Amino acid sequence: MIAYVLRRFAYGGATVLGVLAFLFALFFLYATPEDMARRALGDKAPPPAIEQWIVNHEYHHPLFWNPENPGQTLLVDHYRRMLSFDFGRSDADDVLVTKRLREGVGPSLTLTMPLFALGLLLSIALALFVATFRETYIDRAGVAVCVLAMSVSILLYIIGGQFLIARTLKWFPISGFDPSPAVIARFLVLPVLVGLAASFGEQVRFYRTVFVEETNRDYVRTARAKGCGDGRVMWHHVLRNAMIPIITRVVLAIPFLFTGSILLESFFAIPGLGSMTVEAIHANDFATLRVMVFLGSVFFIVGQIATDVCYTLADPRVRLE
Amino acid sequence: MWKAAAAVSIIIVSTLAACSNNPYPDADADKKILYRKMRKSPPKTLDPAVAYSVVDHLVTGAIYGTLLDYDYLDRPFRLIPGLAEAIPVELDNGDGTRSVSFRLRPDLIYDDDPCFALGAPGASSRPILAADVAFALMRIADPDVGSPVATVFSRIVGFEAFSERLRAMREEDPLLAGERIDEQYRAAGGIEGLRVHSDRDLEIVLSDTFPQLLYWFAMEFTTPIPWEAVAYYDGEEGRDIFSEHAVATGPFRITRYAKRTRISLRRNESWYGIRHPEWKAPAATYPTGGTEADRAAGLLDPQYLGKPLPFLDGVELSFEAESIPGFNKFLQGYYDYSEIIEESFDQIVAEGGLTPEMIAMGMYLSKEPDPAMYYIGFNMDDPVVGRSGGDRSRKLRQAMSLAIDSDEFIRLFFNDRGIPAYSPIPPGIFGHEAGLGNPFRKVDLKRARQLLAEAGYPRGIDPETGKPLELGFTTAHTTARAQLRYQFFVDSWRRIGIDVEISSSNYNQFQDVLRRGAYQTFFFGWGADYPDPENFLFLLWGELAKSKSGGSNSANFDDPQYNELFLRMRNMRNGPERLAIIEQMLEILRLERPWIEIFVPEKYVLSQGWLRNYKSFGMSLPMFRYLDVDAPARAEKRLAWNEPVEWPAWVLAIAVIAIVAPGVVTFFRERQ
Repeated sequence: MIAYVLRRFAYGGATVLGVLAFLFALFFLYATPEDMARRALGDKAPPPAIEQWIVNHEYHHPLFWNPENPGQTLLVDHYRRMLSFDFGRSDADDVLVTKRLREGVGPSLTLTMPLFALGLLLSIALALFVATFRETYIDRAGVAVCVLAMSVSILLYIIGGQFLIARTLKWFPISGFDPSPAVIARFLVLPVLVGLAASFGEQVRFYRTVFVEETNRDYVRTARAKGCGDGRVMWHHVLRNAMIPIITRVVLAIPFLFTGSILLESFFAIPGLGSMTVEAIHANDFATLRVMVFLGSVFFIVGQIATDVCYTLADPRVRLE
Repeated sequence: MWKAAAAVSIIIVSTLAACSNNPYPDADADKKILYRKMRKSPPKTLDPAVAYSVVDHLVTGAIYGTLLDYDYLDRPFRLIPGLAEAIPVELDNGDGTRSVSFRLRPDLIYDDDPCFALGAPGASSRPILAADVAFALMRIADPDVGSPVATVFSRIVGFEAFSERLRAMREEDPLLAGERIDEQYRAAGGIEGLRVHSDRDLEIVLSDTFPQLLYWFAMEFTTPIPWEAVAYYDGEEGRDIFSEHAVATGPFRITRYAKRTRISLRRNESWYGIRHPEWKAPAATYPTGGTEADRAAGLLDPQYLGKPLPFLDGVELSFEAESIPGFNKFLQGYYDYSEIIEESFDQIVAEGGLTPEMIAMGMYLSKEPDPAMYYIGFNMDDPVVGRSGGDRSRKLRQAMSLAIDSDEFIRLFFNDRGIPAYSPIPPGIFGHEAGLGNPFRKVDLKRARQLLAEAGYPRGIDPETGKPLELGFTTAHTTARAQLRYQFFVDSWRRIGIDVEISSSNYNQFQDVLRRGAYQTFFFGWGADYPDPENFLFLLWGELAKSKSGGSNSANFDDPQYNELFLRMRNMRNGPERLAIIEQMLEILRLERPWIEIFVPEKYVLSQGWLRNYKSFGMSLPMFRYLDVDAPARAEKRLAWNEPVEWPAWVLAIAVIAIVAPGVVTFFRERQ
């Protein structure tokens, strides 16, 4: 198993290197150091100020190839910094990127953790519920509601939620964030509700399929024959045996709790890492953007490997070779 | 089953009982705090030498005191003394140089800050000195600071030399860069033209006359900076960096700087206006002047006239990345004033005034032209449209100018928020009146066609090719919306038979095209740094031609007579003589048509009924000190506007139970 994990890490490392190269190429295909300087200094900044900014932020080296000093290129610097976790300072405001990460991870987690936990509980409970009542009108109504819910774009939930719940019904603030305990819940309810609405349909459908498949197994019939009640069959036997697909989804999702939700955070003005990524894109802030993409890809790889390891823990029959 | 239903009901009831859409702590409801949103991006920097965007200036304008300020009500804008005792007069030193001497007010001090312990152990503040203003100017010259306005101050004797010396010394001796910043500046010998005569006196020696210098002392770039703050806030050992930490010298101080959520400003008790209200200093007192229009707009309320500033206890600036949620919060009463977003414009404004719904809410609308100008420019270096074509090209430019309907353009693309332009000088700036009634800035297609024929392009046909004359139109935006706008001009010109092709690029590529000179016509804009006609007319000064010196004159207009008049006008004070020269300059532009002036954008600001003294300012200048809020009225309105509607929660809960329960019951009955 250790060999397997090491091999997966090696593949993952190669993937991360590729992502970094891809990001670098995409960014500098779209923006030049002059663009970045102009965005940071404003449209009216005269050419000498632009040049000075580029020198001060060390973007004056060639992109890919420096005949005088092959080590002095932006690409080499990009890899050196990312792989040594030396994230440097933001191009937009010169704040240490690590400081911005520290500041942003808290708000991101306060949004994504309740959303994740509630989403998981709610969708598993609902899936078990509709699976229990499968082939009745409850199940069919469930299908209709879920398919409808998953067909709608999250943007519509956001704008609709803000309009209906915050603006018309006035239950919660339209957007904003305040970490003080007295008011923090007020700001979180609506984005969490919107996030749930946008994700539960797909999740419930998925888990329901898993559960229904399990309920057709022999052991379920045996349990029933032995006089086991519906609740015990579903919550005890079926749920446990359906663990593998659940774990796959859950473990893969956990790392992304830290990177936050781009759309929810932006529209609800939550100062997390997701909205920070959007701001970095708007500001041509390469230093911040690349860290977010780098961490995202590292998290993804780690999540995948962790999922594989968890399989063996959940099901002794699975072996990693 | 019934237990579960009861539990759900309890959760719903308790959530509803706790819920409120108020984004602020309830305890703040009665405080004299102004709520304002920051749009698009949070401030980038608090470093006054660098901050150059509207959102930066929203904060820096409130916390930094400037040597000079603007009168709040007067238009055209008028300078008044700030931290300086008086507005200085430029003197001739007799040796070709000129001097401007500032004298600071007595007893000015910085806000408390731990950085001052660097200068004197245990100190938490110190007086504001003339040397601190010199230090601020040296920072602008410092290449490592990267100030966007460094070129502005190059007329100070020794300014560029200091910059060069500093750069050279740092390159030679890398250890120098590690030394304390004031030591570095001392080692580089300082700026020759900055003479600190006493704690309160600073003389600035200029190599040439520079009347516009005073305007730069009304901007935060030149605010005094204590060297201790720059040295202390270096980002090491958990300390902030200087661009994230400000030592206040203005009416407000920062008490919380979570710029991605909220920036809290509170009264700065160390500000001279608060410590010495008896001085009745002009920038620390509500003005007593103002016009009838100001009176009608409620800006001359006797309870404020001549009273010491600021009226507010604080300002809360919240960051709103998206415009729609921010504007909706304004409509709920959670912001005190707001720009009007495109999406809601028709709900707010009807026929130039507010809709009845807005009037019923007690809102006010203020309109003020921005000191800015959008124009189409011709590249005067181009053989077809430029100066080498002589009279032929001139008539072509005149004809193209006559084809464009600014009124229609503003109506179609800016909801009528703009004023058609007749000259490069927008309203509110001295000399604007001289430009009115430009015969080539109205639509006259008949005359245009006639001019075009005289230019040798009958019905727009180029005799050389036998096809319609083809011209290129370079623009800086690539969005579909912008394309539509530019298409308007192309269609206008097509009506007189000219075929113009748009080439769009992003702002940088656009700048690059201008630098290379490969363009015929272009669309561009300019927002004033300071309210002086020089700041607009310099855009057509030959010395600044893009092709010649890389300057801001993108039209490459270079007319000897205009240049000479410009130099005379630049160094004059506002008065009839200056106006006469401006008239002559505008007359040249009227005929030569290097620009087709399109429009001056108008700022529409919607303010709540409880906000007092709001006057739109155009330039991004500090105004929080003049504003006030009627907090009890606001609290009342907020409650009335935001009563939660609870019944849909009940309907929803009952509906879910009603749909699900029968199925459950039937299912179990069948099972049994």
